[in-house]
Amino acid sequence: MPVEEAGVGRLATGVDPSIVSRLVFIAAFIVLIFAIFGVRLFQLQVIQGEDLGNRARRNSVRTVHLEAPRGDIVDRFGRELATTRPAFGVTIMPAELREREKTFAALANLLDLDAGELAERVGFPKGRRRFQSVRIAKDLPYDSRTRVESHLYALPGVFTDVSPRRYYVGGSLAAHVLGYTGEIQVAQLQKRSFADYRSGDIVGQSGVEKRFESVLRGRAGGRNVVVDVAGRVDEVLDEVEATPGGTLVLTIDRDLQRVAEEAFLPDVIGGEEKRGAVVVLDPRNGDILALVSHPAFDPNSFAGGIDTATWKLLTESEGRPIQNRALAGQYPPGSTYKVFVAAAGLEEGAIHPDDRVFCPGSFKLGRRTYRCWKRGGHGSVNLHEALARSCDVYFYQLGLKLGIDRMAFFSNGFYLGRRTGIALGNESAGLIPTRAWKERHVGEVWLKGETVSASIGQGFNLTTPMQLAVAYAAIANGGTILRPRILLRQTGPDGVVEQGPGREALGKVPVSPENLAIITRALEAVVNEAGGTGARARIPGIRVAGKTGTAQVVHVKETDGLEDEEIPFKYRDHGWFAAFAPVEAPEIVVIALAEHGGHGGSAAGPIVNAVLSRYFKSSMPEAPPKSYEPPEPLESPAMPEPTESPEEAAQVVRN
Amino acid sequence: MFEIDRRLLQNFDWTVLLLVITIVGVGIINLASATHIDDELTGEVRRQLVSVGIGGAAMLFVLAIDYRHYERFATPALLVCIALLVATLVFAPVTRGSQSWLFGGRLQPSELAKLGLVVALARYFHRNPPSEIRRLRDLARPGLIAVIPVGLIVMQRDMGVALLTLLIASTYLAFTRIPWRAWVGVSFVGIAVLISLWMFVLQPYQQRRILDVIDPGRDPLSSGYQAIQSRIAIGSGGLLGTGYRAGTQTQLRFLPTQHTDFAFSVLAEEWGFVGSCVVLSLYLVLLLWGLRVARNSKDGFGAMLAVGLVGTIFWPLALNIGMVLGIAPVIGVPLPLFSYGGSALVTSLVGLGLLMNVSMRRYVF
Repeated sequence: MPVEEAGVGRLATGVDPSIVSRLVFIAAFIVLIFAIFGVRLFQLQVIQGEDLGNRARRNSVRTVHLEAPRGDIVDRFGRELATTRPAFGVTIMPAELREREKTFAALANLLDLDAGELAERVGFPKGRRRFQSVRIAKDLPYDSRTRVESHLYALPGVFTDVSPRRYYVGGSLAAHVLGYTGEIQVAQLQKRSFADYRSGDIVGQSGVEKRFESVLRGRAGGRNVVVDVAGRVDEVLDEVEATPGGTLVLTIDRDLQRVAEEAFLPDVIGGEEKRGAVVVLDPRNGDILALVSHPAFDPNSFAGGIDTATWKLLTESEGRPIQNRALAGQYPPGSTYKVFVAAAGLEEGAIHPDDRVFCPGSFKLGRRTYRCWKRGGHGSVNLHEALARSCDVYFYQLGLKLGIDRMAFFSNGFYLGRRTGIALGNESAGLIPTRAWKERHVGEVWLKGETVSASIGQGFNLTTPMQLAVAYAAIANGGTILRPRILLRQTGPDGVVEQGPGREALGKVPVSPENLAIITRALEAVVNEAGGTGARARIPGIRVAGKTGTAQVVHVKETDGLEDEEIPFKYRDHGWFAAFAPVEAPEIVVIALAEHGGHGGSAAGPIVNAVLSRYFKSSMPEAPPKSYEPPEPLESPAMPEPTESPEEAAQVVRN
Repeated sequence: MFEIDRRLLQNFDWTVLLLVITIVGVGIINLASATHIDDELTGEVRRQLVSVGIGGAAMLFVLAIDYRHYERFATPALLVCIALLVATLVFAPVTRGSQSWLFGGRLQPSELAKLGLVVALARYFHRNPPSEIRRLRDLARPGLIAVIPVGLIVMQRDMGVALLTLLIASTYLAFTRIPWRAWVGVSFVGIAVLISLWMFVLQPYQQRRILDVIDPGRDPLSSGYQAIQSRIAIGSGGLLGTGYRAGTQTQLRFLPTQHTDFAFSVLAEEWGFVGSCVVLSLYLVLLLWGLRVARNSKDGFGAMLAVGLVGTIFWPLALNIGMVLGIAPVIGVPLPLFSYGGSALVTSLVGLGLLMNVSMRRYVF
């Protein structure tokens, strides 16, 4: 269309008359919208404003944040593991302080603080910062609280508040399952998944607390109140109650958990406190009945922020309590691995159960000699005896017959070297070596001698306690790999119950039920027959099957000839014990690992025994929950960033 | 040249300029109160003054060139805007859940895209008179022009600006001749689209903000909090206001975004009903004046351009004031010319420069 030619002034307007009529329509629409705004402003400011305006001149309106109590976490029988208690705090609003010095002196007296330090903490803020309250205490003991409250009328500018605080009923009980909570970190606030979090919010930082954050969190409420000059609440304008978080019912059995944890303490095992892990699993459905990593930490100390020194102790000290050994710790499986080698041998037809091998106490390959743990040798043994007495020489030969890649195939079939996918996070994958793996990662060809080491679970092999639990559960239940599960069900704040994930089969092991039965019979012999290495797990009246394991941490030569007590702690072997019971219809699998505990039977056996005894004892009436005592208030500036790096320095050895 | 310049000067639209200077000035005075800490000028005020300088210069620049030349550059300009939007999606970091800033937060291409879209649509409707649009299918091509930038803004998860851009484009629907029966059909489709948006695109927090309009008491803390605090602030202003820098609500910082999205509540608290009405009247006069410019324009392009520019001021204003007064959802739309924010202020000023451009060349031939 050509640009409009000619015409003079207004008469030449190029605008279509129909457009002009619509312009009038648009103008009318705009005027209408502005009229609505005018009416609304009149309503808010003139009709309601008289009332609100007067109020705002003399008083001020404050919004009080009502934190939602976090949902409870209970065990499978509904017994509390984590709950919420009220925490009493004190803040000062500098703008409303009247007699500064007097107030600080009085408050210092009431709270057992230093008045000078208090004054320094409040300082002399200017401008808008005068209206920002300064927190003096977060979690006061009951008597300080009553003292402050009774003097509040004389302390203008001093405010008290009550907020829900996470409380772990059993202290460090099941700490690695529950995890801990803390203030949301700056980095987390940036993420879209935390879009509706505000700085200062409490958020689950590990374990169940982190994994089920959305269920546990609830929804904060708020209250708009009018306060007078002294900060007393005059009137509540409106209020929305906080919605508490939902309740989680875990698969954990609190009694069993406690027994498993106490088994690491000196008075039960005798001697020194052990480090290690326990996994207790129901082989019928994958329920985790107990999960222990020892030493543990007390998640209560995180609830109000944790000081740097404590954090350092938890993450950097030698025992590294923050690490979950049951999931993230990787250890050579030692002789517990022989079970999978035996299964491979039977399935591949490499051995017949009746075949006998002579064990003179050592095995020669080329110029190297590989020793059996029993120096005198086991004599002539068949598969049953070799497993029961844990004869190394038998498995050296079987391993060589199979080769490393066949052993790896069957190990992978038992889910070793793979993550079980348990809903707790930070799980290690372990390592089952193959020829290809070594060429890719080490850059060298596989040596025959390494096959010999691998056949007794040494060398490159690494497993986590959780992996062994899943693998032994498969032996116990006839060959099904189950995903371990931690959540039984959850109850929303509205009372709606939602069942947790059902029984989830990850696969079938590549071993026939007949061959599994042969192995199970041998494992029963480990515990119950004369010469078996696992007699410590014997329970009267219950048929227990099990396997001991001793994972060497360093080359045998370095500790050769030394008595157990003379070997430095960090060079001592890791002790394993894997068990399930009752043999006729297994309902519980227990994996115990005692780090540097020495021989599996003697170090880890008693832990398994304690758990099994408790499980099969008819359930006793439950002791009442520990009565609540507020812990010492933790006044710490900020929690350091938790750098979760639980990569266990895996002590790999080569024989 | 000089003769033309003299005539242009005679026809210069002093009304628009005066209104703009007044509104921007009140906005800065208000910003100084909203961010007041000590008696010094705050960083926000300083940055806003710089933006006024840049915007004013840009405004004079677009004024100097006859608006009919812009018609030729409409398509390339829109393409540049689209390219910038794509670049934002690729390069810009995600901040507060959306991804809409380029060059370290100095440029918000979605703001620029609103202007680009208006120029492109004005060109289209100049060449294809909207009074000849009688069937829905005639909307397909102009619809496409609008949908591309809007879609890209949706992908940035900046729902407020996306909605705004769509509303601005829809201003032109007022000129079409599509029968009402067709609109019934469109509304059905629209409702279906809205429902699927609600279910599949909106984040839970965005859904909550919309629910909060229906019932602001639902959650006085997170999203309803702002709406309630805004209402208390406005209410405590009363007829004459609490006085400059004397608003209890304002000075206590009850409103989290009181210098940006809720700038008007600060004004309403401190200057009362009278002050709010005066400022709203300034906007009303500006908008009606803009429509007058459209009517008096000497060609279709000028008219369509002026209407679109009125839209770029009206729609954000309607959404913002509606939100502040608690009758529209809390979506982060600033009040044009008034709220703190450089990109938005500069684009508003450029837009008004275009409007004055159309206005002062109405007699020139």
